[in-house]
Amino acid sequence: MTDTFSLLFAVLIFPGGLFVIALGLALKGVERRAIARLQRRIGPPLAQPVFDMIKLMQKRTLIPDTANALVFLAAPLLAVASMAVAAALIPVPGLYAPDPRLGDLIVLFYLITVPAVALMLAGSSSGSPFGAIGFSREMAIMLAYEGPILLAITAVALHAGAEMGQPIALSLSEIVAWQRAHGAFLLDPWMWPAFVTYLTFIPANLGIVPFDIPEAESEILEGPLVEYSGPPLGLMKLASAMKAVVVLGLGVALFFPAGPEGLAGLVLFALKCLGLVLAVAVLKAAVGRMRIDQAVVFYLKWPEALGLCGLALAIWHA
Amino acid sequence: MMAFLKILLDNLRKGPATEAFPFGEAPTPPAYRGKVAFDADTCTGCKMCEHVCAGGAIRFAEDDDGLHFLIWHNTCISCGLCEYYCPTKAITLTNNWHLAHPQSEKYTQIDHGTVAQCRCTECGTAFLPAIPALMDLAYRGQNDRTKALAGMCPDCRRRATLSGARS
Amino acid sequence: MNFLSKITPRIVAKSPWLYRINAGSCNGCDVELATTACIPRYDVERLGCQYCGSPKHADIVLITGPLTARVKDKMLRLYDEIPDPKVTVAVGVCPISGGVFRESYAIEGPIDRYLPVDVNVPGCPPRPQAIIEGIAQAIAIWRARIGEAA
Repeated sequence: MTDTFSLLFAVLIFPGGLFVIALGLALKGVERRAIARLQRRIGPPLAQPVFDMIKLMQKRTLIPDTANALVFLAAPLLAVASMAVAAALIPVPGLYAPDPRLGDLIVLFYLITVPAVALMLAGSSSGSPFGAIGFSREMAIMLAYEGPILLAITAVALHAGAEMGQPIALSLSEIVAWQRAHGAFLLDPWMWPAFVTYLTFIPANLGIVPFDIPEAESEILEGPLVEYSGPPLGLMKLASAMKAVVVLGLGVALFFPAGPEGLAGLVLFALKCLGLVLAVAVLKAAVGRMRIDQAVVFYLKWPEALGLCGLALAIWHA
Repeated sequence: MMAFLKILLDNLRKGPATEAFPFGEAPTPPAYRGKVAFDADTCTGCKMCEHVCAGGAIRFAEDDDGLHFLIWHNTCISCGLCEYYCPTKAITLTNNWHLAHPQSEKYTQIDHGTVAQCRCTECGTAFLPAIPALMDLAYRGQNDRTKALAGMCPDCRRRATLSGARS
Repeated sequence: MNFLSKITPRIVAKSPWLYRINAGSCNGCDVELATTACIPRYDVERLGCQYCGSPKHADIVLITGPLTARVKDKMLRLYDEIPDPKVTVAVGVCPISGGVFRESYAIEGPIDRYLPVDVNVPGCPPRPQAIIEGIAQAIAIWRARIGEAA
């Protein structure tokens, strides 16, 4: 009974659910503000994403006649739920260790791709040509970035496994524990290619310029989200805010989980996220959007090569 | 990319360039063409503004009270033609741009001016008086005689001029 | 619930998403709208506003143009796709009265013949500050409308 309860608590409140939502919306607010400052504007209040969310929850839900209503409404729920569970898989040193029954690194990797799949479902089920274009773009870019990220994660798992005397380490808790005891992978030059690969994966997965091609609002009107309104749209935006925290959290857990335990560690984690978000803001303010073919070629060329390089290094080093 | 980063850095250093506007005053150039203002005292009633008005915002109507000038700001395009062609500059464009209004006030966005008619000192017919500025222009300055003529209707004035009336 | 109905309109009014409809405009007002959104000097995002690409995300709809005969049906269809509660702002003299195109054979306007307009922002085109003023009035109307709905 307590077992079920603690699992539910992990998924719904901390570190999944509420905590991720709060942190994700706060990061989004900071990002919008930072972009405004970079563009010499004042920008919205920091709590703007929260206001937006409350507003969207109040609005009417429209379901187009051409849509498959079931899939159309299920996709946002799927995205949010997958992110809540994914967050519950990331260990918080001193405060929370994920239940091994929830899954390991492989499950986490799959869960992180679910919002992209939900976005594709949303686009294809909405019955709008914009949604369909967004769907095909999301599919293309996802196929391009999944390769490098898988290589990077495998490299970390192999490296950590070799250090721990196993063939491969798939438990994120163990990887984090080992790094906290013996030094973070970020400080290990052997892991740098994998780290850089992970960094390049972040903008594509989070739909950040120059890789926000599937949701390009100025050309295909936010693509898959074009037919959404009200609460489902809010859930979609929520899922993308949560995804930012999960992806950054996974990056921190894989490469740089150093720092104090407990609440102070949590604050440090938020600060690490903040640093990355500020970098993202600079990226957003500085570059324009790529074309889908350019983005796919980019991912299949550089991050893929780097990822392979990182994997080779990890195998050789082992 | 590096050039762009430099621009972003400069932007951060300079701080926001945003105006205070909805929470404070917005700077407005004095020559900004905004809401049209009308001065009935200097209007000669030539109706040139109605003729040149591109948006058809200016209408004149005449009745016993005098000449009524009407402008509906909701169709005025602030082109400034009326001001340009007005011989006495009775019509001017102010730099007031606070024109946004709720729908209920749509048809009250109107300015109305009346050029009052006066009675002829001789026969009593109503007519539109010539403004002093115009009289100055016509007679190169005024004296008692021109002032007396100004109080007469066109017919009486013609008669008075031809008969060489001295008063 | 009473507490909620008091507090939510205030929060919701901080997040008005804007949508533009060009009903046959000459693009003058649209340029001013783009200026309002994009130029740091005006920064409409400070009010929580955000231009959105889809009518289904919109709260405040800004209409420019005199409603030409060709665009009328499409425009009305687009307008119907915006979920309630919404606030309509007519930007420029054209949607309000027809402006210089008034009484033309190609014009079906003024726009309030076909849909309920809430705020008018006259001008040809109105300056960005005037548009922001109109949006601020629209936000006030929107807040009241949410209060009624709640």
